[in-house]
Amino acid sequence: MYDKTVRRRRAVLALLVVLSLLLLTAYFGEAPNGRLHSVQRDFLTVVSPIQDGANKALKPVRDLFGWFGNTLHAKSELAQSLKQTEKLRRELVADQAEKRSYRELISMFHLDQLGVDDYHPVTATVVYKDPNIWYSTVNIDKGESDGVRVNDPVINAEGLIGKVAAVVGDGAQVDLITDSSMGVSARIGTSSSTGLLQPKVGDPGDLELQYIPSTAPANVGEYVVTSGTVSSEESLYPPGLLIGQITSESEESGFKTVNVHPLANLHNLDIVQVLTSGAGSRPEQLSRLAASLPVGQSSSAGSGEQLASTQVGG
Amino acid sequence: MTGGASSSLALRLGAFALFVVFFQIGVVSEVPVFGVNADVSSLLVAFVGLMCGSTVGAACGFAVGLLIDLTLLQTLGLTSLVFTLIGFWCGRLRELRDPQGALTPLLVGAGGSAVALVGYSLMEFMLGVDAPVSFELLREIVFGVIVNTIVALPMWFVTRRALEGALPDDPRRRRRRRSYTTGGLSPLTKP
Repeated sequence: MYDKTVRRRRAVLALLVVLSLLLLTAYFGEAPNGRLHSVQRDFLTVVSPIQDGANKALKPVRDLFGWFGNTLHAKSELAQSLKQTEKLRRELVADQAEKRSYRELISMFHLDQLGVDDYHPVTATVVYKDPNIWYSTVNIDKGESDGVRVNDPVINAEGLIGKVAAVVGDGAQVDLITDSSMGVSARIGTSSSTGLLQPKVGDPGDLELQYIPSTAPANVGEYVVTSGTVSSEESLYPPGLLIGQITSESEESGFKTVNVHPLANLHNLDIVQVLTSGAGSRPEQLSRLAASLPVGQSSSAGSGEQLASTQVGG
Repeated sequence: MTGGASSSLALRLGAFALFVVFFQIGVVSEVPVFGVNADVSSLLVAFVGLMCGSTVGAACGFAVGLLIDLTLLQTLGLTSLVFTLIGFWCGRLRELRDPQGALTPLLVGAGGSAVALVGYSLMEFMLGVDAPVSFELLREIVFGVIVNTIVALPMWFVTRRALEGALPDDPRRRRRRRSYTTGGLSPLTKP
């Protein structure tokens, strides 16, 4: 009897471990459009309505927990916000004067062909956030049926959030800008030099703007925005989307590396907008191009964006 | 354990695990404490192992891990593997030591969380995921274990409450109970 129990226990453990390893090997080895990936997407399609319902049902609980945390931070944030408002007001006056000449320059050089106007924003609610420290992703309640496609940029009121990594009928997964698979072509607000913005190694909550010429000015507190399509370097993201603020800078081998803190509170996302693009439009063509690029071992289609960043200039 | 009791346990466990997984990704992961999120799913697996034994613990770990991997579009099988081992080891702890101390859930919760976080990180490294290896990661793991230890006790009571009535009878405990109630083996009753 005892032997039988021991044998059964060992058999169950061995079976489950082998099954896990088989799944792991098969999943990791197959292409993003492979069978297991399809099963996963189908499963997400099935649970999307449940996720949506559960999200709505659990929102009061989440808000309650969030309220405690928000109250604790409110006081320090208020002082910071007042200072920032004062600074922004001064900047606004200066920016308004520059705005007119900026528009003229843009139309002169035909750089506005990929502006936000080319996109159709789709408002979505964040239904789940990946709790794992290895991934920075969220799931939203809008999918293919709303025109959302892989590689569509995602923003909220504070700025750029990330891009769509996978999409199903009524939901999509969004890679946040702090995900290791992300890379965004960006520039410092006052400078015309562009660089590649990626998550900072060793600090997954912060970003690093790399390959900025050492002569380019970079001051702490300055804003970093998407550079959009500049000359021959095309980007998935429209120009001028706010990403973050400079916290520090360093210089090495003729290039400047700038540490950037994201403006958006990525820990507490609720409403976001997906910048979808119509079929045949330039953004849509770029998304297709990025998605068709060879992906690495990463499971998400998002790694295509990183390649797009380097190859297309994303 | 009879067939009826087994199916009752399976039903309760399935429903409770489903609730915990959705609660984890819908609520707990939205509320950072000390910059990290608690992981009640790994606590659930550890406590199910501790209450129900190694076989049920391993099976529960596999199922919960698979559900998480499927729902969050993660590498399939990764969380299942880590959680299977946690469930099994916690079940073996019960079968071999049968710890009864008041702090047992805290220690098991801390241990289970540490194994989950470190195991998951190791697996990711082995799979070649390009991720930062740094003090920050270590900090996240340490704080993750601390936060999970804080959450362990309430989670233990909730799990116990949810599965109460369907839990398997522990043979050791039954033997111990009988020895003191029948009087036959107690030294105090001997002439």
